[in-house]
Amino acid sequence: MSDVALLAHPARLRAANAARTLICLILLGVVVAVLAVVFGRSGERIAVQMCINVAAVVALCVYCGNTGIVSFGHGAFMAIGAYLSGILTMPAGIQRTALPELPGFMAGYELSLWGALPIVAIAGLVFAAVSGSAIARLMGASAAIASLGLLIITHGVAVGAREITRGSQTFFGVPRVVDLSLAFGAAVVFILLARLYRESAAGLFARAARDDADAAAALGINPQRTRFVSWCLSGMMCAVAGALYGHMLGAFSPASFYLSLVFAHVAMMIVGGMASVGGAVTGVIGVTLLQDSVRQFEGGVDLLGIAIPEVFGLTTVSLGLAILLVIWLRPTGLVGSFELGPGAGTRLFDRITTQASPAPAPARVAEAVLSAEGLSKSFAGVKAVTDMSFEAPTGRVTGLIGPNGAGKSTLVNLITRQYHADAGKTRLSQTDLSTLSRESIAKAGISRSFQNLRLFQGLTVYENVLVAALAAGHKRHHAAAVALRELQAFDLAELAATPAHSLPYGARKRLEVARALAQEPVILLLDEPAAGMNPAETDDLADRLTRIRHERGIGILLIDHDLRFVNRLSSWTVVMNRGTLIAQGTPEDVRADPAVIEAYIGRGRTAAAVTHSQEETTLKQGVRP
Amino acid sequence: MDLIVQQSINAISLGGVYAMLALGLAIVFSIVGLINFAHGDIMTFGGYGIFLALVFGFSPVAALAIGIGAAVIMALTLERTAFRAMRGADVVTLLITSFAVSEILKVLFQNGISARPVPISFPAGWSGTYEVAGATIGVVPTVSIIVAFASLTGLTLVLRRTATGMAMRAAAEDIEMLKLLGVRANRVVAIAFAISGLLAGVAAVIWTAQRGSVDPMMGFFPVLKAFIATVLGGLGSLGGAVLGGFVIGILEVLTQAFLPDGLSPYRDAIVLALVIAALLWRPDGLLPAKNANRS
Repeated sequence: MSDVALLAHPARLRAANAARTLICLILLGVVVAVLAVVFGRSGERIAVQMCINVAAVVALCVYCGNTGIVSFGHGAFMAIGAYLSGILTMPAGIQRTALPELPGFMAGYELSLWGALPIVAIAGLVFAAVSGSAIARLMGASAAIASLGLLIITHGVAVGAREITRGSQTFFGVPRVVDLSLAFGAAVVFILLARLYRESAAGLFARAARDDADAAAALGINPQRTRFVSWCLSGMMCAVAGALYGHMLGAFSPASFYLSLVFAHVAMMIVGGMASVGGAVTGVIGVTLLQDSVRQFEGGVDLLGIAIPEVFGLTTVSLGLAILLVIWLRPTGLVGSFELGPGAGTRLFDRITTQASPAPAPARVAEAVLSAEGLSKSFAGVKAVTDMSFEAPTGRVTGLIGPNGAGKSTLVNLITRQYHADAGKTRLSQTDLSTLSRESIAKAGISRSFQNLRLFQGLTVYENVLVAALAAGHKRHHAAAVALRELQAFDLAELAATPAHSLPYGARKRLEVARALAQEPVILLLDEPAAGMNPAETDDLADRLTRIRHERGIGILLIDHDLRFVNRLSSWTVVMNRGTLIAQGTPEDVRADPAVIEAYIGRGRTAAAVTHSQEETTLKQGVRP
Repeated sequence: MDLIVQQSINAISLGGVYAMLALGLAIVFSIVGLINFAHGDIMTFGGYGIFLALVFGFSPVAALAIGIGAAVIMALTLERTAFRAMRGADVVTLLITSFAVSEILKVLFQNGISARPVPISFPAGWSGTYEVAGATIGVVPTVSIIVAFASLTGLTLVLRRTATGMAMRAAAEDIEMLKLLGVRANRVVAIAFAISGLLAGVAAVIWTAQRGSVDPMMGFFPVLKAFIATVLGGLGSLGGAVLGGFVIGILEVLTQAFLPDGLSPYRDAIVLALVIAALLWRPDGLLPAKNANRS
């Protein structure tokens, strides 16, 4: 790929994203039109329900898709939205009969739907902020179950608060104002909102943290905050979707928002594919069509002369089977882990040549010194690092070597605050790093790569680097330019639009380094960047790193097993064994140090080697006279 | 005084049921990473086993054994038909699979037996009471405490002292390594499911003896509490699951006994809110599971 094509990548990505949004909208529009035109009134009813479900599932997906956590709690937001909007819009006469004990401050507003929705949105946001402060702390399955707990709590409160909700009885008198145009409009707005959030900086951060929380934190992204933000937006949207659902039904009870609704929505999301907005839309359409076809048979029919008896819950069974089939055959859902529609690398967008302005060559960093003073860390009694002190200044490649288990990676994790040191300090010049959170290390000027690859698998190569540049605090267009520059520097231009999970190994390793450099660090920590590379790839990487250090004047702390690679790059080598510093100096000095030889080859051999060389000397001496 | 004794007995008996269910969930979760939503349906199936055995004229004691057996068979069947094909999938995928299986099973119960509760009548003597130092104590809660503790102790012994138990604890740490050592993983997983079914069956026995009926949702609600218990205790930690179960059971009985009447409809909400608040304080649970995570 030429520079021209690379610089056009951001514009092409924008076009691809717009195309993908458009595809969602067209897909929904076509199905709605077919239903309304071909099936008349009943088709229109199905279409309205489908559009409301699209709104609800897309709202759910704002949290689930961007964080990778299934939520069962969004039924709670829908219930809050529906009841609140119902009370606010209910005609006063009906309200007096239906809710005679309603507290005075809630009664008699008779708002229009448009007056009620902003209040519903705010209420949803407030409830999300409160519940999210607990749920966003949790990850994975724990968060899923806690969200289920939230659903049960809300259901319990809705049943208990009789004065406001009529308890488990039907809540009626809600104006049925949702027609097809309103429902479709709502679905369109929700899809646009969800797409915008997904591609925004906040959405990218959330997806990065979803794919690898540790790597995201090392870039300065706070995973918990990304979950919180996604939860709040999702909760707010769900409350509005719930209000619309209420105004579609006209009468409902707490059970309308309980497990069966939640099950249906989660099923739609999983069937379509949780990771994308297109997946949510596809899932709703597919499941709605499936359910409405199956519902025809639920009351019992004659099929080819055989009377099939009435079966309760046939729609539930079909939904369950649909989930099982999709999970067995396509675990990531019908759409898969990327958005429906063409990616930025498709030929379709080749004609777009609008170029991003190239980033200026990075300025040389100011001089600074990364220093460790007496760092110690033990794990359950095993001393991984004991009293380590060393320095890594800018403008130098400092090699950190040592046999397996010497504590090298632990040391990096201590510097980056992944682990908290038992004793000792780390500083970058005057800044004390040992009081910072792990998310603040990047801001302080230290970036790292990981020993085991930690790429954001659900993002493209370009997005992996972009997210790092955004996390470093650059504005969008500048971040894009920086990302392109680093892709160019590490020969990844051709692969910009490729999903990170389909990269070859060598390119993954280079991408890790490019991602770290996009943060424009003062000190770069590279944890075994050449592990698993072949000699040609290793040489290539060494050349690129040498050039980077030379051009930008940054300091590199290089950890690797490949001593040839480390010696070639570094002008100062620090050697660790069993958690302690055993030698440091120029590579030549260190190579000759008996302690280092012993650590690498063992005592017996050293002794043998020393005796051998003495014998040699003696022999030579013997010959000389 | 006698109120306190009675309520303590009730609290420990309810906590024991939750602890058994939570432990069953935790054993399966720690080995295959499955949060089994269908665990409640395994318990319900145990209840139906008792019901059908009584309908076919078995003695009450035999019916209880049949009920427990039914739960074990159901657990093994689900493992073989639905979950084995998914082994190694991520937690969310497995969770959704079990969610779907659970929904399907509930519809099968509704259509196959009845959507309404069916009565189970045990001999009258079983639901009697006795008096200790002036306090009236139910037979069923007492027996349930004994059974729960016997099951938990027995399981601890199996896990600590037998080769199979050791294989299971090893599988919970690293099932791939266990396979490399030549232990048959399928067998270990099947035993884990069997144990979780056994615990669900015992819970079903206690539950039906106290409630006197079975319906398709019987197992669902106690298992919801057990889920919360596993998260409260620390997902994947066996000790944590038992502790979480007891904590939730005790909280529930305490709120029932001492909450003013006006707040009693919110009992579940209050208990769950307390648990979520506890997670704010300890996001990894009360007794977190150990897992190594190298960068």
